[in-house]
Amino acid sequence: MGKIIDLDIQKCSACGACAVACMDQNDLDLSEGVSPFRVVCDLEDEDGEFQYYSIACFHCEDAPCITACPCNCLRKDKETGFTVYDNTNCIGCHSCAMACPFGALSYRGDGKMVKCDGCAARVKQGLEPACVNNCPTGALRCIEERELKDVKVKRSLKKMMAALDTN
Amino acid sequence: MKQKTAVVGFGCAGYHGVKAMREHGYNGEIDVYTDSLWAPANPMLTTYYIYGKLPKEATRPFGTLDELAEKYEFHTVNGQAQKVLSEEKSIRMKDGRIERYDQILIATGARAFLPPVEGLDCKNVFPMRTMEDAGRVKKVLEEEEIHSAVVVGASMVGIKLVELFHARGIKCTLADMAPGIFPIAAVPCIASEIERRLKEKGVDLAFSRALQRIEEADGRRQVVFAGGEWISCDLVMMCIGTRANTQLADEKLRVNRGIVVDGQMRTNMPDIYCAGDCSEGTNLQTKETQIIGIWDNAAKQGRTAGANMAGVRTVYQGNMLHNITHFMGMDFIGYGDVRSEGREYLYENRELGQKFFLRMGDAGPVCMNFLDSYKASGALKSYMLRKINGNAQTLSPVERVRMIREGIPEDLTELLMKDQG
Repeated sequence: MGKIIDLDIQKCSACGACAVACMDQNDLDLSEGVSPFRVVCDLEDEDGEFQYYSIACFHCEDAPCITACPCNCLRKDKETGFTVYDNTNCIGCHSCAMACPFGALSYRGDGKMVKCDGCAARVKQGLEPACVNNCPTGALRCIEERELKDVKVKRSLKKMMAALDTN
Repeated sequence: MKQKTAVVGFGCAGYHGVKAMREHGYNGEIDVYTDSLWAPANPMLTTYYIYGKLPKEATRPFGTLDELAEKYEFHTVNGQAQKVLSEEKSIRMKDGRIERYDQILIATGARAFLPPVEGLDCKNVFPMRTMEDAGRVKKVLEEEEIHSAVVVGASMVGIKLVELFHARGIKCTLADMAPGIFPIAAVPCIASEIERRLKEKGVDLAFSRALQRIEEADGRRQVVFAGGEWISCDLVMMCIGTRANTQLADEKLRVNRGIVVDGQMRTNMPDIYCAGDCSEGTNLQTKETQIIGIWDNAAKQGRTAGANMAGVRTVYQGNMLHNITHFMGMDFIGYGDVRSEGREYLYENRELGQKFFLRMGDAGPVCMNFLDSYKASGALKSYMLRKINGNAQTLSPVERVRMIREGIPEDLTELLMKDQG
């Protein structure tokens, strides 16, 4: 088990600060064709109530994108547990996109895969991921995965998705 | 504790088998039998190597055989295995020697299928599966004047060769006995759209034509079809499909198209395991065993076998037929059984040029085809697998968000939201 970035659904307002911080941290220029690593959205439920979400890579413990990649571009970072990548040999085949139940992989204009790496370099220096650092409501948290056991499902997107049979 | 293990074949499944054994604490001896020192190589990468998108070394994504032998402490035995004697748990060598083991993993993969027609030995007629095949084609393209090619087999590797030839300005014809492209994965309405786009790019199509023979005439190849029609070209690629390498299995092992395995990758013979493209695991949709020859599936089967061989009981539930193919600026995604029956739905996002085909059975989707919507493909695959597994849960919020973001038509999302199968 390693670190994860989790969302407290009850605190998120889909303000987008996390997505902007992520684009800034990772130098993502959407006009060059890359899709953002973190997306925010609101969904209306059957009762007409709105729920707000901020979604990026879930850094699955047994990440399906890793085994799906035919070029071995993805791996687990030993220190943080985040799913990180080296896209030098990426062929843009999109096998990782098909493997990820959350659609968390992005691609640059040249076709190479890029994704949220949990800001592993920041975390190793004792800093928070950019999205967490810029979340004004404290909805995003970077925690050890084992800490999830004390969090209620209603307050954890990670836990809610883990309850689903996604693979 | 078992102390002596053989792994026969060292592609994706063999590699993951060895890796998993070591990671789960197996510290006995491992002998890896391989016919190629360029192992473990990925057949999917051959066309990318020829294209120039990958250096040769990168076609072995896990490292060289020597590096892996040192890392995972195994001995390599090159080109020696002739038969797996399942009852005796032994390998018979080509020179007649018998080597005994406590357990054996068969991971011999698959080979290109070549039909029994005349002319396969003509100059510039090649299959495409191994790095040796890739090397031969690359050399021809670099050293000879190749102006035209016929790709026989509208398969996933066939289309990658069409892409390669098209990029080099080589006039290309894609031929198949089937009436349309990707016959085992694409439904007619999606296949016809792909075919329209290919023709628009200048690719000739020759479907519903059975290959009869290949001839040489005036230094060129003549691809002759039943009925006498023929196409003249400089290069012929044979991409009809693959066959499992089951030749090493003895008569006591249960073999259909592949070697039949259970969820722990056990064959019908004790201590003989099998994984990867030579194995028939569980197709979750049909509940029968079937070869699902995909890199990801081979990896999961290999690591399941490795864990069990290390004494850690692990079950791989199986998979459904699925594939994604990126070519010539398009993405084709196919899930499930293309021959299934059910209510059919076709949606479009005209702005993004995307098409979505769904066939719904009583318990949810039984077949899905998407054109150019790879970003939501994982969410939709996850949903379909859930339904196949009998899970009543509808689209999760994350899946819904992804579908909205990627421009999936609202009608399709609503259809899946209503589906309580």
